[in-house]
Amino acid sequence: MTDTMKMQLDGQEVSFTEGETVLEVARREGTFVPTLCWDERLDPYGSCRLCVVEVEGRRIPASSCTLEAEEGMVVRTGSDKLRKMQSTLVEMVLSENPGDECPRCRDIGTCEVHELAEQFDVGRERFLGAISNASKEDSNPFLLRDYDRCISCFRCVRICAEVEGDYAITMTGRGWNKGIATAFGGPLMGSECTLCGQCIYTCPTGALADKKMVGQGSIPGKVEETRSICPYCGTGCSINLHARDGKMIGVTPALDGPVNEGALCVKGQFGFDFVNSNDRLTMPLVRKEGQLTPVSWDEALDYTAQRFKSIRAEHGPKAFYAIASGRAPGEGAYMLQKFTRAVMNSNQVDNCSRA
Amino acid sequence: MKSEVEIQDPVTTGILDRLMTQPAPFLEVLHAIQDHHGYLPENALKQVADRFKIPISELYGTVTFYHFFQLEPKPIPDIRICENSTCCLHDLEAISSEVVDADLGVAHSGQVEKISCPGRCDTPVPILVGEKFFHGARAGAVAEATAAEMLLPPETGLEECLFRDIRDGVGTLDGALAHGAWQGPAMAASDPQQVIAQLKESGLTGRGGAGFPTGVKWEAVKNESRGPKYIICNADESEVGCFKDRVLMAHSPHAMLEGMACAGLVTGAEIGIVYLRWEYPEILESLQIAIDEATRAGMLGEDACGTGIPFHILIRRGAGAYICGEETSLLNSLEGKHPFPREKPPFPTTHGLFDLPTVVNNVETFCAVPAILEKGAAWFRDLGLGENAGTRVFSVSGDITRPGNYEVPVGTSLRELLDTHAGGTPDGKAIQGVTMAGISGGFVGAADLDVALDPASLTELGAMLGAGGIIVHDESRCMIQAARESMHFLAQESCGKCFPCRIGTVRVTELLDELIDHSTGNPVIRSHPLEELADLEEVLGETSACGLGLAAPFITKTMKKYWPDVLQDYIEGRRPERQGERDAK
Amino acid sequence: MSNSIPEIEDCPMMLCVGTNMTECHPIIALRVKKAVRKGAKLFVVDPRKIPLAELADGHLQIQLGSDVALFNAMAKVIIDEDLHDKEYVEQRTEGFEELKKHLESFTLEYAEEISGVPKDLIRECAIEYGSAERAGIYYTLGITEHICGVSNVQSLCNLALITGNLGKRSAGVNPLRGQNNIQGAGDAGALPNNYPGFQDVTSAENREKFEKAWGVPLDPDKGITKITALDHAVDGRLKAMWICGENTLVTDPDVKHTTKALESLDFFVVQDMFLTDTAQKAHVVFPAAAFTEVDGFFTNSDRRIQRIRKASDPPGEAKPDWWIIAEVAKRMESGVHFEYDSSREVFDELASVSPIYAGLDYDRIDSGELHWPVPDHDHPGTPVLHEGEFINGKGKLQLLDYVPPSENPDDEYPFYLTTGRRLPTYHTNTMTGRSEGFRILVPNEWLEIHPRDAEKLGFEDGDWARISSRRGDVTTRIAITRTSPVGTVFMSFAFPEETLTNNITNPDVDPITETPEFKVAAVAVERIDAPAGFSAEPALREGSGRDLPSHG
Repeated sequence: MTDTMKMQLDGQEVSFTEGETVLEVARREGTFVPTLCWDERLDPYGSCRLCVVEVEGRRIPASSCTLEAEEGMVVRTGSDKLRKMQSTLVEMVLSENPGDECPRCRDIGTCEVHELAEQFDVGRERFLGAISNASKEDSNPFLLRDYDRCISCFRCVRICAEVEGDYAITMTGRGWNKGIATAFGGPLMGSECTLCGQCIYTCPTGALADKKMVGQGSIPGKVEETRSICPYCGTGCSINLHARDGKMIGVTPALDGPVNEGALCVKGQFGFDFVNSNDRLTMPLVRKEGQLTPVSWDEALDYTAQRFKSIRAEHGPKAFYAIASGRAPGEGAYMLQKFTRAVMNSNQVDNCSRA
Repeated sequence: MKSEVEIQDPVTTGILDRLMTQPAPFLEVLHAIQDHHGYLPENALKQVADRFKIPISELYGTVTFYHFFQLEPKPIPDIRICENSTCCLHDLEAISSEVVDADLGVAHSGQVEKISCPGRCDTPVPILVGEKFFHGARAGAVAEATAAEMLLPPETGLEECLFRDIRDGVGTLDGALAHGAWQGPAMAASDPQQVIAQLKESGLTGRGGAGFPTGVKWEAVKNESRGPKYIICNADESEVGCFKDRVLMAHSPHAMLEGMACAGLVTGAEIGIVYLRWEYPEILESLQIAIDEATRAGMLGEDACGTGIPFHILIRRGAGAYICGEETSLLNSLEGKHPFPREKPPFPTTHGLFDLPTVVNNVETFCAVPAILEKGAAWFRDLGLGENAGTRVFSVSGDITRPGNYEVPVGTSLRELLDTHAGGTPDGKAIQGVTMAGISGGFVGAADLDVALDPASLTELGAMLGAGGIIVHDESRCMIQAARESMHFLAQESCGKCFPCRIGTVRVTELLDELIDHSTGNPVIRSHPLEELADLEEVLGETSACGLGLAAPFITKTMKKYWPDVLQDYIEGRRPERQGERDAK
Repeated sequence: MSNSIPEIEDCPMMLCVGTNMTECHPIIALRVKKAVRKGAKLFVVDPRKIPLAELADGHLQIQLGSDVALFNAMAKVIIDEDLHDKEYVEQRTEGFEELKKHLESFTLEYAEEISGVPKDLIRECAIEYGSAERAGIYYTLGITEHICGVSNVQSLCNLALITGNLGKRSAGVNPLRGQNNIQGAGDAGALPNNYPGFQDVTSAENREKFEKAWGVPLDPDKGITKITALDHAVDGRLKAMWICGENTLVTDPDVKHTTKALESLDFFVVQDMFLTDTAQKAHVVFPAAAFTEVDGFFTNSDRRIQRIRKASDPPGEAKPDWWIIAEVAKRMESGVHFEYDSSREVFDELASVSPIYAGLDYDRIDSGELHWPVPDHDHPGTPVLHEGEFINGKGKLQLLDYVPPSENPDDEYPFYLTTGRRLPTYHTNTMTGRSEGFRILVPNEWLEIHPRDAEKLGFEDGDWARISSRRGDVTTRIAITRTSPVGTVFMSFAFPEETLTNNITNPDVDPITETPEFKVAAVAVERIDAPAGFSAEPALREGSGRDLPSHG
């Protein structure tokens, strides 16, 4: 552990620890520093150059995301000149994408590019010209890819490599013709892609989006976000449930989830809509004349209690057995074992961990 | 990271087995596979990915970065013609159509495509078919270009350092030895500190453009405790208008090899790598001969020059990418990574090839070392005029009587170089302006032709000396068009990593195109082109991640400085008169 | 898990055994990949060439069920090479000398013969494990779903104990739980031998505590396991059963036996989201709310207690599980307290009777940062178990013998069948199969077979086959891959409607846990004509990616 060191940020003395970048220090101090290529889960990349700051002793501004703080460093973040250049950069970025409505902003939440556009109050008009990249639809069921809206920040490529370790996609070509593709340019399905969808949720534009969420934005009703836990394997990834009018419409990863830190797999990301399935049971069923027949709760509950009572009376406590779910919330498991032990009077209860 | 390759290509297996034991084999492996198959088959790339432990997607992406790696079989090659600043002064349309019908003795598809400058501006226009270069400046003059025909530097009568023996047959080891070559390494081994002192004293700075003191660089690497260390010769000269390294390597290879060996023995590196641009196939051949000769004679190898210390040199070919001349891109390229520039610091002296201490110097820099060691630091320093140390080689092309390479004292006036040594314009037209640094140093206009050719004087004019390429434009040329061509080259060669350069170079090119089109009747859509240009220049020049983008504004800023009224004509939709007539007013 | 998931990325030596982590626990696998990026060593022990093996420094491709022979031999190498942690062994374990003597016969040669792993590789793995400053073992059902599952686990524990790798950060012995809340269900007391918080039901002290808490006398005997319960149903001792959220008919081995058991019941209640195969056998089916429709808690693999929250409305009259059970209980008029207004009240009661949850309430588990045990309200939780000392004193080193699988290939059934999950199909596909898009990724079951075996049997990719065992048979398509070794075939169990894999799996169980040997069965594979309506097309759709399922 090294001692805390000090630097100057916009005239204020601030402390930092070794290895911290100027961007990290500035953001910690609540200073506005715009970025597009930055994601806290990824290695600093320094490509969007929006995070430039003025450093005393340097001829030209430096990108703060790649600049490690140094003892005594004197940094300015928000001069008029920097703001002007940042504003121009945002205009340049906007100019390389089409001007029509961004589906991401409409359906999922404002994308980073358009958030910056609003903040700097600029549009794409001044630098109109060629549109970079080519649109490329992919036949997979989950990930919308519209590279017309790509700004070549390569966060998708980097999250696929650095976080997921899948290396499914790569950057191709050079310069203006830079693109994103799988090895040899094939479809995502058939590549190393596991369709985990993490590229979608790091993408700062509408180039990548969740096919299940796109289109939802045009339906009226307020979308509520609720923090929860993925219902699949035992990892316990944190997710945000998106619902409108009491109906699930999508899942986004919780960036501060203690286990997953914003990562999800294909199941956690896209495997939520079974809850909306038409196959869901909606009424209690009781077998009548061989057929499972919908009945009221009272009827089903009374009948069940009465049957359990008579079996216990006739055959004793050990004629009953209960199996709790390893998938449902723990409160149910607690209730079932309490029921078995305190009401049926045996320890004949288990869960599904054996098979 | 799929490991299993269903069908192994035995040729690729053989290439991998043979080359994987060598230092930095990545590029050579790909070239060897392409040389054999004519392209890079998918299976072969999977094997390469496997062996290098690179994810196949990353390898694929990296391969697509380069102009000259091919992923599809192409049994009959296309015709590729240079389209950049010097060559587009010629009638490319006419040459293209002649070449299609000409009997070049090589099969081609008849398809013509444009390529970036292959460093042959002294014999325009280079035409590439497969791996063979031809050149023809006008219809009826398409002849095969070979290494042997590479023009020797014209005589100037000045005292030279690099060129002092170049016309005397120093291309062979015997010839070089006869002129006292290969003395330096022994000095470097016995007293490395003395060599560093000499280099510092001589004032020799990096000739690739950045101008960092060579002695300081070598000393930094020498002082690093980590190893192994590497010496890298940057022979990826790729800037439009620059062809000096090609001529130095063609005619004086031993000076360069000796310079590298000195660097190795001074710093403790045992491996030297020449990163040679793909577009110099003749040099690949002749340089390998020189290395083999030197190795056989014991100048290189396990006991270099009898010092008892090993020093080996190998060649690694690029594959067509200007950005790989940027030293950190070059390192990534050698390592098999995506050839984007790295963040600096750290610098290559501490974290170079494979993150190890590395000297990266330009061909011209290495070539100067043996002469400095032989004749002394003071001699070299005194070659310069005034405060300037030494000489520099300039590649002169365009509207000039004797295109070629000239070694002149640093501080020589531009006018003397052009008029006295290179013979002025061929038909007596006035010089309207010249490009600097190749093209990325901007322009010097007619009014400033007396400027001294040293870094500070050029900077004062708002231009940059850089790597010493100068393209002459006579009074008949349109300098807005010239600026457009320069910017177009940078846009073509921008690596695409940082936003200001990737978008900015394209937008500036488009803006200039729009102005030029406007004069032919197209409506201008921009209301404030100069304001927008200034904003783009500011972002490019202050926020770009590497020198390519940072230098780009030199072009338009000097254009605006020297030819403001021409620009105004364009903005207002007037087609400018011929430049000469305007200037005469 | 003895250690928490985030610690993995700082583990310098990882031994992953019987865990197809990139497919079954992809987000835990990210930590492994991160550790590898940081320079950690990774050794994978698995009969199949799983994707994780591609990242590994060594892949010990063992014969099914030969784990004990392999890990005993590794323990022997560690001791012979003097790499064991003498101080730890002395202070925290017992039985070392006995173990050392017991291991004498577990030579590298013997281990190579049994496991098929080259002895140099076994040795290398042992030395890396033994000499690492910290080493973590990670395993899943490839270890436990064997008749010798307990021995397998203990043989791994021996390795950790002799090297001092239990009770410190980024090390330990870490079973990765396959289901979101299987840990929580056990924690909550849904076990025949334990009250909530793993308190032994046969302890009078514990019983009295719960009798006091619940106000009724309790059964002093431990219950039977679920596996035995099915037998008791068949033989008539068991008359009624209540299954919450498990598709038992499909997930248990030997479907014929399970069917018979469930059909023998006088009264059978199922509580589920869907009318599963199991529910179709029931007398009463209760519609349960889904995870997005209720408040509650899940406890994950590393003992982290986390909140789930209601985001959407249950369809029709579906209700939370706890509510349904409470309502039945109330109507039984037992006098036991079942008046709850919310899941929070249920959780509070659980915390009040479970020492490992004693310091918890809904507010404290809000951010999901605590790992049990959390004995009081100020306790910061316990990411690393066994620091300082073991709960029961010293760690006992176990003397284990190699027991071959209960069923091995013979002339009639010449292949080993092993089973597992694939990335995009979870378990029996009740959830993934009903979520849009997943059927596009994985449209059907397939049998993975090595090209050499395929050639021998005259199979083309996409052919149909009948796979039969002593229990029954199934039909499916063939996919020729190199993932499974020669002589071993692989299937998942995600398409029970079409290919009921557990028709053919082996019901023999581990004598202690009664976990069936899902991982080993002897089967025969024969080519059949495509069923009506199907053509011989590749088992995997073009673009659905042959490699997709095996490249997590």
